[in-house]
Amino acid sequence: MIVALILALSALLALFFLVRLTRGRTLNLNVLENPTEHIRSVDVEAFRNLVDPGEEEFLRTNLPPAEFRMIQRERLRAAVEYVSCAAQNAAILLRLADAGRRSSDLATAEAAEKLVNNALRLRLYALHAIPRLYLGMIFPGAGISAVRIVESYEQMTRQVVLLGCLQYPTRGVSAAL
Amino acid sequence: MTPLRLLWYCLWVTPHALQGMILLVMVRRRLDRQFPMFFLYTVFEVLQFVVLFTISQSHLQFGEAYARVYSVGLALSTAVRFSVIHELFGHFFRRYPTLDGVRQLLFRGTIVVMLLVAVGLAVSAPGNGADFLVRITYVLDRTVSALQCGLLISLLWFSRYFVLSWRSHAFGIALGLGILASVELATSAIWLHLGAFGNIAVNLFTMATYNCCVLIWIFCLTAEDRRPQYPTNRSPKLPTYDLEIWNQELERLLHQ
Repeated sequence: MIVALILALSALLALFFLVRLTRGRTLNLNVLENPTEHIRSVDVEAFRNLVDPGEEEFLRTNLPPAEFRMIQRERLRAAVEYVSCAAQNAAILLRLADAGRRSSDLATAEAAEKLVNNALRLRLYALHAIPRLYLGMIFPGAGISAVRIVESYEQMTRQVVLLGCLQYPTRGVSAAL
Repeated sequence: MTPLRLLWYCLWVTPHALQGMILLVMVRRRLDRQFPMFFLYTVFEVLQFVVLFTISQSHLQFGEAYARVYSVGLALSTAVRFSVIHELFGHFFRRYPTLDGVRQLLFRGTIVVMLLVAVGLAVSAPGNGADFLVRITYVLDRTVSALQCGLLISLLWFSRYFVLSWRSHAFGIALGLGILASVELATSAIWLHLGAFGNIAVNLFTMATYNCCVLIWIFCLTAEDRRPQYPTNRSPKLPTYDLEIWNQELERLLHQ
């Protein structure tokens, strides 16, 4: 009886997930209408500081263990927020760059392709990093790092600018370079 | 013929007639080359129906021979369905070579996890039908439904997480198979509770679900395969406000 109940509940959950995933598909497309409303800015320098192993080591040696654990937990909680923001931005850019891949201009298509790959990589790192950061909150001294996310985000930033320059050369984005 | 019997025959014959239409549509639109496994699955389902229907109308009716052919057909159909799911994994991730490793890991990982779950279920409730063949079919059906459900949900969830652009055809096939697998999982739970195959209400419900899934497949395969729609009045633009921030970030990086 219990196994039958578990099976029935699993099946219902599966159906629920399928319906939700189907709905999510249409919602994703709506993000493209107003990307600026969904993009959240990320302070890369602060983010880098939060996941810097050197900084962690400095705090460990200069603070009493209890205080270090408390601060480290706070830092990791903030890092999770940053990673989530970066991953969300990557998702939106992925959608936008996907359209750029079909551009007739070779340079634009190539830049969009690179941006798509990098945004995918960032989402993949985020998938690894978030559980690890939560693990780090449970064991604050474990030395969990998410440096790869920062690197990937910076790379993605450069590619967004490049794609922006190629798609909208008159906006003066290239002047900043 | 009683109305219930008539309904039963309608629900049995209709999806297979519609699957014949799916085959025609696929050949006409050359989708058989894009989805060879799904094409094979549809051919197999139609052939299996023809054989089973012929047996049921002969002097053998729904006897032992019917049960045997049904069990063998179910096993083969299940194997082909796995190939269809594998094919869908390929379709969803094909345009993104960066995720090639993830695709393989996801497919194998989900199979291992769901297999462990399904084997656990099979061991804890091996089925209590008298006939060995029926009992084995019972357990296998449950195991496979759980496995396929897990695979399809993980496929759809990951493709949503990675914001992959879903093509309507592949999406429709995955959705139909997913609904079918989850309803089969639910009915296997009911069979487990009742302790026997062949409850008429459960059978009718499963058959009605299969009809719905075939309709989803027809709808998706006859529709134009569209890419994600972007606003038509303007091309998708990179957000200017954020570009400014990124620009500043880049400038800072270049001056480091």
